[in-house]
Amino acid sequence: MPLVPVTEPRVRLDGAPLRAAPLRRFLLRREILLVLAMVAVALASGLHESAFLTRSNLSFVAADAAATAVLAVGQTIVLLTRGIDLSVAPILGLSAVVVGFLGQNHNLPLGIGVVVSLAVGLGLGVGNGFLIAVTGLPPIISTLGTLSVYGGLQFVVCNAWSPHTVVNIPNSYVNFGNDNAFNGLAWLVVIAAAITAVVAVVLRHTRFGRSLYAIGDDAEAAYRAGIRVRLVLFCAYAACGLLAGFAGLIYLVHTGSADSTTGTDTSVNLISIAAALIGGTTLTGGKGGVVGSALGAVFLSLALTAMVFAGIDPIWEPAGVGALILLAVVSDRRRGGTGSGALTRSAGGAA
Amino acid sequence: MPQPVQPRSRVRAHAPAAAVSGDRRGEVTGEAAARGFRYTATGIGKAFSGAPVLRDVSLILEPGEIHTLLGENGAGKSTLLKILAGVYQPDSGELVLGDERLPVLTPRTAQQRGIYLVPQEPTLMRHLSVVENLFLGILPRGRLPFSVGWREMRRAAAGYLERVGLNVEAETPAEALSIAQAQLLECARALAHRCDVLFFDEPTSPLTDHEADVLFETIRALREQRYTLAFISHRLDEVLEISDRITVLRDGALVATQERASADRAGMVRAMVGRELAAAQPRPRRMPTGPAVLRVTGLTLEPHFANVDLEVRSGEVVGLAGLVGSGRTEIAEAIFGVRKPTAGRVVLDGKQFDRRSPRACIDAGLVYLSEDRGRHGIFAEVDLARNVTSGILPRLPRRAGLLQIGAEHGLAAEAVRRTNVRAASLASRIKTLSGGNQQRALLARWLLADPKVAILDEPTRGVDIGAKAEIYEIVAGLAAAGLATIVISSEIEELTQLCDRVFVAYEGRIVGRLSGAEITAGRLGSLVVGAEVR
Repeated sequence: MPLVPVTEPRVRLDGAPLRAAPLRRFLLRREILLVLAMVAVALASGLHESAFLTRSNLSFVAADAAATAVLAVGQTIVLLTRGIDLSVAPILGLSAVVVGFLGQNHNLPLGIGVVVSLAVGLGLGVGNGFLIAVTGLPPIISTLGTLSVYGGLQFVVCNAWSPHTVVNIPNSYVNFGNDNAFNGLAWLVVIAAAITAVVAVVLRHTRFGRSLYAIGDDAEAAYRAGIRVRLVLFCAYAACGLLAGFAGLIYLVHTGSADSTTGTDTSVNLISIAAALIGGTTLTGGKGGVVGSALGAVFLSLALTAMVFAGIDPIWEPAGVGALILLAVVSDRRRGGTGSGALTRSAGGAA
Repeated sequence: MPQPVQPRSRVRAHAPAAAVSGDRRGEVTGEAAARGFRYTATGIGKAFSGAPVLRDVSLILEPGEIHTLLGENGAGKSTLLKILAGVYQPDSGELVLGDERLPVLTPRTAQQRGIYLVPQEPTLMRHLSVVENLFLGILPRGRLPFSVGWREMRRAAAGYLERVGLNVEAETPAEALSIAQAQLLECARALAHRCDVLFFDEPTSPLTDHEADVLFETIRALREQRYTLAFISHRLDEVLEISDRITVLRDGALVATQERASADRAGMVRAMVGRELAAAQPRPRRMPTGPAVLRVTGLTLEPHFANVDLEVRSGEVVGLAGLVGSGRTEIAEAIFGVRKPTAGRVVLDGKQFDRRSPRACIDAGLVYLSEDRGRHGIFAEVDLARNVTSGILPRLPRRAGLLQIGAEHGLAAEAVRRTNVRAASLASRIKTLSGGNQQRALLARWLLADPKVAILDEPTRGVDIGAKAEIYEIVAGLAAAGLATIVISSEIEELTQLCDRVFVAYEGRIVGRLSGAEITAGRLGSLVVGAEVR
């Protein structure tokens, strides 16, 4: 019986624990590409208009990206499981108006405001988690439903307070949104970076993080490998909600205002998914990471600011975001990411 | 394939249907006029990602004959039929239908020549009606442009359904049909598409005996009308009952083609399993006498299986034999907590084990290697190391609550060395590995869990011969080290080589218990096909 030719290198693994250096390099590739792209965009804009490269503009770009980055980190957690959260926009909005009204009308201390924003986000995220993990509805349907429900609640909340919009938040809030931690680097940026770092460690070094990737790759295989799929999904949507709630607080203190359409009016859903996709996370699950997503958020902010500096009417902004998403997804497809799994997996199975 | 889409009558000018019908194809029910052609395959070879599955196979299918392809799983029967029907393209060899040397076929161009494969799983459009499924792709035109001739279609449909003995309303949605009815509908669809070379890929494995009889009656009627017919089976009884000619494949090569008159059961079994594997030494049988590590009593989950009793001791390899559809995988899944049985008890290590889930089973020392490696085993996009450690996430080494990647890789490296996985590095994505290496990586995953009982479901499915022998060695080694092992397999030789005892499942019942020297290919071969039941 002739032996079958072997298609992969016949390297035996010896005893020494192998470090996954090639993998890490592979994972970093998208992140490094993004940084290079950002440098290129910044330099090109700087040549065109030197004010782009000033410290004040660049710190504005970074601070502007903080809320998006936190949202995108949460969205990434969900995308990794091959899910999606379309309700982050009203979660951000609800968190911003609840904290905003409590601060504006009742002088709520900032510290408690932070807790309230987290509680609102977690509560709404748990709602999504319940629908998806307990009743088993598909994520896109569940969160499309809660997009409407939570968005409606946002109107109700705004209607209950008078005036109906948040325009005048306490000074402590404003200071938090604009103070620098050190030279030109806003507190918000530091906090968003810290959150990204913590979640990155969670993804790599905890059972929860590992389970997210396994479920996104193949939920049935994950279940049979002993992973508690429903529990992990529940926690993933709760975490996404929690982060969206905190992003609401960042939005509030950064812009100083919030109303019944906050979040929805700036298509936060799309932006958060765009940042994650640009950062290398796929819609088909199991691939990607939060560092890329946070960088994707900064890249978006930078690219959109560059558009303004280039004299392009802001009316083109959504079209620009869409084009960047398509670019990210197409490049991913060419790397053999999105959608190719189904084909490669069946190869070799013959009866 | 740049072949223009054209009516079949022009592809094969002498097709009988052309004489009767105009361009409204639904119009005629094609009475007994249809006639197949001799279909010759010469020197067919095919490999999937480097692993040959068919080697130099030559076959002649005659009109008016029922030709059966017989062989173990992995012998290449399905691949051969799929090549004949244009689903796969052969790497070498040629196909001749009638007097036409066929170009590279696709399912569509094959159908235009009258070749139709009824697949293992019916591929009906679930939400469309019977009549729409019947004429899918050839909906007859109505009077108005772009309209569908519903009335005419229904009238024609009745004729086709009657010919295959399918007694359902034309408006029934396809999802309401049983599997047997769906298969008959596939048959009728082939007739409606004026196909006269019909292939069936294991049509009877999901059917009850009565349903199979109905299907066979239809197939016999088609034989009378001189259709060219071929089908796959591993049920020896039905093969002997219905075939005119039998071809046995083994390991991708044709072993023998015989007329039924000269074929006998023992000879066919020998031809199917009699592989001269010089390297593979049967594992020496052992009869441990200790208490059972795993004992299952009265396990029931209708309609899959009922009243299953089995037990396995430390150091013992117990086989669970059975055909696809015999309930063997469902039994394993019920033990592992993937399915919830309606009755029965599972006792692990002397303790009753009721609230089972995969997690609880793994933690209690019971692991299950799934039959479907692609869908229920590997994480394709994930690296080898994390694939291997995914079964023991709660037990991985930690510091300050965080997984220690270095130590984890040490564990993974040790496990894949024990199971002899060949890969460039632990960071290789598992989908880049061969089937055999993927399977050994999954064995490594379960070794890491340090199990007392391992259920291995088709452990050598889709792996090459060399890898197979290595997997046998691993299983033997584990048993020698005290693991209680259950091997589920439809390969008789695998069971005779590995097992100390064998349970045989047939239609959801345990119909045989063999141990030691009783485990022979002959006994197993007749038990799995239900020959000793009635």
